[in-house]
Amino acid sequence: MSEILSSATLRRLVDQWITEGRHVAGPRLVNDRLLYGWLESAGQLTLDGETRPRNSIKDFLFPRHEKLYGYKLGRKRVELTEVAPLVDEQIVIAARPCDAALGPILDRVFNWDYSDATYNRRRELTTIVTLACQSFDAQCFCTSVGSGPDDPRGSDVMLHALDEGILEIRCLTEKGRRLFAGQTEPSALKAQVGAGPEIRFDLGKVGEFLEGGFEDAQWPEMARRCLGCGVCAYTCPTCHCFDIVDEGAGGQGVRARNWDACQFGMFTLHAAGHNPRSQQAQRQRQRIYHKFRIYPQKFGTLLCTGCGNCTRNCPVGLGVQPVLSAISRKMQSNDEL
Amino acid sequence: MRKSARPPFTIKTTMNANIYLPDLMEVVQVRQQTADVKSVRIRFRDEERARAFSFRVGQFGIFSAFGAGESPFNLCSSSNWQDFIEFCFRRTGRVTEALWNIDEGDIVGFRGPYGNAYPMDKWRGKNLIFIGGGIAMPPIRCAIWYALENRDQYGQITIVYGSRKVGDLVFQNELDRWAEYDNVRVVTCVDPGGETPDWKGEIGFVPTVVQQADISAENAIALVIGPPIMIQFTLPVLSKIGLGDSDIYTSLENRMKCGVGKCGRCNCGPAYVCKEGPVFTLEQIKRLPKDF
Ligand code: SF4
Ligand code: FES
Repeated sequence: MSEILSSATLRRLVDQWITEGRHVAGPRLVNDRLLYGWLESAGQLTLDGETRPRNSIKDFLFPRHEKLYGYKLGRKRVELTEVAPLVDEQIVIAARPCDAALGPILDRVFNWDYSDATYNRRRELTTIVTLACQSFDAQCFCTSVGSGPDDPRGSDVMLHALDEGILEIRCLTEKGRRLFAGQTEPSALKAQVGAGPEIRFDLGKVGEFLEGGFEDAQWPEMARRCLGCGVCAYTCPTCHCFDIVDEGAGGQGVRARNWDACQFGMFTLHAAGHNPRSQQAQRQRQRIYHKFRIYPQKFGTLLCTGCGNCTRNCPVGLGVQPVLSAISRKMQSNDEL
Repeated sequence: MRKSARPPFTIKTTMNANIYLPDLMEVVQVRQQTADVKSVRIRFRDEERARAFSFRVGQFGIFSAFGAGESPFNLCSSSNWQDFIEFCFRRTGRVTEALWNIDEGDIVGFRGPYGNAYPMDKWRGKNLIFIGGGIAMPPIRCAIWYALENRDQYGQITIVYGSRKVGDLVFQNELDRWAEYDNVRVVTCVDPGGETPDWKGEIGFVPTVVQQADISAENAIALVIGPPIMIQFTLPVLSKIGLGDSDIYTSLENRMKCGVGKCGRCNCGPAYVCKEGPVFTLEQIKRLPKDF
């Protein structure tokens, strides 16, 4: 037996949650483009159309701008004020599996050794309701990184669209069960999960290449057309680099953390002028190594969910998948020689 | 539809401390070291925090000039010193420009200590060779004082300190005090052309001076910190006199923001300098990819 609910019920619940004062986010059209954003009503929730939003749900767990605390300067005096802790619950509805997976991935970053209270609180207050994928585009590559269209990582609930406005619902965590308690019905219907996008590169071959490929001539070659705009990192669910800055005037303001990206030349520039990554090729290499070697060696999983947003949004068609496909092809043809 | 002001269930949340919130520190002394370098002595405003605080030489902190931002600096005082800590900076950007203008009694922010430290215990019984270039003296100074304060635990101490010109040497007044200790040799040098008429030290680049100083590698470790170019040319000299890669230490000075392994900018290949560093042996560095 499975549990189902109608999309009409889902929309009614979304409206109810909003009315109750919870923050609900989900895919919505903004100037004809599908983006995750806060919903003002269930009417804005868009469950069809483009394969996936152009941004990620990262914004709701690790916002692009976050106040860490306030400061107020006086004569020989400084007063620091804590930012009021987040109290409202957040629900992300119709997240793609490749977005939902960011939770467990970022949890490790924000908790190894030092626990980041702001992040943890947001995470605890957030329930992620995922919609399993039924369509793919040319950029999707979840299956190439060991994931797939119904990967449950990070999801509190997994929805599968069945025919005629019916959704199969699988509550995976206590949070998820509480959210939908009493709202579902038993049914004999069961979702069929597709195979997902074709496998586009051989992860094993990529690993082999990265092991000794740090100074490979391929990096400058591949990075040549990169503009260093950082869009790949900003729209990535798992990229989490940030900057810490003071924003204020007239003796008071806030210390905030803002998203940053390893693709910028200033990112690693030393005060004394030396820059360990002064060239774009070194910065592209860092992004790939971080995702496919550095993070995995530390935490045991990839820092990539295969969403394809880096390439989907890149003005010059770069991003993880084309780079790794090229590496994988090169390694395979080496094998054949 | 059931309406309620409060959600029908509550989610358990844990509130722990904000790791980015600094301690407020009072500036007790500012010393101008060179035309663009100052050292600052600060103490905790909160007595309890002051009592609870400790660090190990080699660690660093993230210092704030509120309104300008934060920067990482080594804690350049000895960990034996009570009541205050010191840091040293060169005026190069927004934060250091703001720090340049602070006076006694002003408030700065501090969080830390972060990172690993010099293995002072492991160095016990050894001869210590300290080699520094330019503004890199502060992160060595803390270890020098620590060793001098535990003089009987360490053997011969050799300090080679060079800068471009005489006026660029920091902690100049302490160089003579170090030389007064038993079994301590201090060699200072400036680049050719950087000397003054009354300069009594050597004239030459650090690697050459080290080579000519007739330093014994026996039972010794070396701590080398300075500009990349100085390190690059000093390391072969040390290898030549017989120091092994695991006996040569340095402290990497990567750009940092968070100091706690989150912001993603300080890594050198797999090593997060803020957490696994800043102190590395040459042996460890050779195993890292060329990402520094
Ligand atoms: S890879 Fe593409 S999106 Fe990323 S920085 Fe380069 S040009 Fe921008
Ligand atoms: S300084 Fe932020 S990760 Fe090391």
